[in-house]
Amino acid sequence: MIKDTLWTLLAVVVFPGGLFAMALGLALKGVERRAIARLQRRVGPPLVQPFYDLVKLMRKRTLIPDTANRFVFLTVPLIGLAAMGVAAAMIPIPGFYQPSPLLGDLIVLFYLVSVPAVALMLAGSASGSPYGAIGFSREMAIVLAYEGPILLSLVAVALHAGAAMGQPIALNLSDIVNYQQQHGAFLFDPWLLPAFLTYLSFIPANLGIAPFDIPEAEAEVLEGPLVEYSGPPLGLLKLTSAIKSVVVIGLGVALFFPNGPDGIAGLVVFALKCVVMVLAGALLKAAVGRMRIDQAVLFYLKWPELLGVAGLVLVAARL
Amino acid sequence: MTFLKILWDNLRKGPSTEAFPFGEATTPAGYRGKVTFDAATCVGCNMCEHVCAAGAIRFAEADDGLHFVIWHNTCVSCGLCAYYCPTKAIKLSNDWHLSHLQQDKYTQLDHGVVAYKRCTSCGDKLLPTGSVLTQLAYKGPNPRAERLMDLCPECRRKASTRGEAI
Amino acid sequence: MNFFSTAAKKSPWLYRINAGSCNGCDVELATTACIPRYDVERLGCQYCGSPKHADIVLITGPLTARVKDRVLRVFDEIPDPKVTVAVGICPISGGVFRESYAIEGPIDRYLPVDVNVPGCPPRPQAIIEGIAMAIEIWAKRT
Repeated sequence: MIKDTLWTLLAVVVFPGGLFAMALGLALKGVERRAIARLQRRVGPPLVQPFYDLVKLMRKRTLIPDTANRFVFLTVPLIGLAAMGVAAAMIPIPGFYQPSPLLGDLIVLFYLVSVPAVALMLAGSASGSPYGAIGFSREMAIVLAYEGPILLSLVAVALHAGAAMGQPIALNLSDIVNYQQQHGAFLFDPWLLPAFLTYLSFIPANLGIAPFDIPEAEAEVLEGPLVEYSGPPLGLLKLTSAIKSVVVIGLGVALFFPNGPDGIAGLVVFALKCVVMVLAGALLKAAVGRMRIDQAVLFYLKWPELLGVAGLVLVAARL
Repeated sequence: MTFLKILWDNLRKGPSTEAFPFGEATTPAGYRGKVTFDAATCVGCNMCEHVCAAGAIRFAEADDGLHFVIWHNTCVSCGLCAYYCPTKAIKLSNDWHLSHLQQDKYTQLDHGVVAYKRCTSCGDKLLPTGSVLTQLAYKGPNPRAERLMDLCPECRRKASTRGEAI
Repeated sequence: MNFFSTAAKKSPWLYRINAGSCNGCDVELATTACIPRYDVERLGCQYCGSPKHADIVLITGPLTARVKDRVLRVFDEIPDPKVTVAVGICPISGGVFRESYAIEGPIDRYLPVDVNVPGCPPRPQAIIEGIAMAIEIWAKRT
């Protein structure tokens, strides 16, 4: 029991949560910035730029506004980071790592994925700045809009996998991954196509990729909730968003396309899949402008929601 | 879908970024940059000081000559001085490397001395009149004027009255 | 030079303060980030929206009397260590507005300026040259 706990702790702090997810997430950010620069005919920053940024932020002074709630202001970045460390440890790396069942199932993961958004909202409201408040309200609106579709998508996959494995519902991510590795990826299953598209549409909103980077729009609301942050807390918030990209993309990989070789090669293939998703995100970011918050919310309440319901109905009809 | 084509073209053509600051930057020949002053052709008419929009140019008289000073930190590179300078002693070069540290702020000056000549007759000081100005005024060499050029205004008047210059 | 300053040298974030500028210099600042030809991002720079994220602050404009208090307040919100760059002749000397009753400049009467980039406006390459100078100072300060 103690051994299990220690291993789980190691998974959260070092691999694949914690340090590994940080490194991968920051590298993905670097790839994204470089790719956007290339798409705009610029040279762009070096690939390790996010690491430089992080190290620099750790050395800057922390300013806390008079109007801020000091306790919430300083603890919120830690909450987001901790949630993401645990969430990253729950993402199976196909053929290389299987999360311990001690950590929890798909439902816990679903809630952990929304913790950074909540942390960001708290950060915005605790900073006592009008820009932070606007960022808070925008984040809240978009979270409400995309949580529905993503839940529908997760439930569709879980039901489908459960039916295939003879259970009412499959909530263990490792089981879903193992099933796909034996019977082919869900990505190529036409019955799950709407669920996949729903998940795909959820990624840009959760990771703040244009046209859905409205809560953290640096041009209009000065990066919204982050406006009053400086120094190490800002670094932690940036780190959280870097790990979040690993978690969200990794969850997508685990749900829809976990197939790959075993061993270290599996890890490489997983990283390559993440890079491909990030490159697609960079293409989107470089190509489109930013939506207004009402447009984005309406968009999510219309199309991904519709797709999610359609996906769920398709899966339920075959049960 | 044209934006995809544009993005693809951007990827294909590669970055169009200049090498600067790691390499050389391109500068157009006609770029209006740092003002240069040539004391040898200046005739001290003070027109540049008069037209200077930002008050960057100052003239001051001293014993050894007329001192011309321009402070680049307040020059707007409008080019009025170069336009109005009769002998084109002031020009705008295309040098734009003007960034400097704060301690060098008040040394961003160009200083020129239009040295006084001595009158060949009475030894009084006078501003030199360059050949560029006679060329402008008489459209060619003028022996009569050139004989008077080395005299101070007072001696020049006397010489003219005596008919020496005719 | 230790590990921190090596990393910090590669990651100077920029922040713009408009102290009553005519917007000429601000446009040139925007071109350094937005036009691929100049691309200030390859120095690791990034324009940030909030003064609290900034490392190098670029000030334009002659510090008009109305904007003085706000500029000083925003400047105080930038966490140390920071480097100040005066862009354009207005913050450096007042430029064409020098000795006007409406301006309080030059800006080094109130703020510790480190690098001056004269020009009206300075061309983007000149601004990048000034930023490169500021980065050298910034690496020494961290």
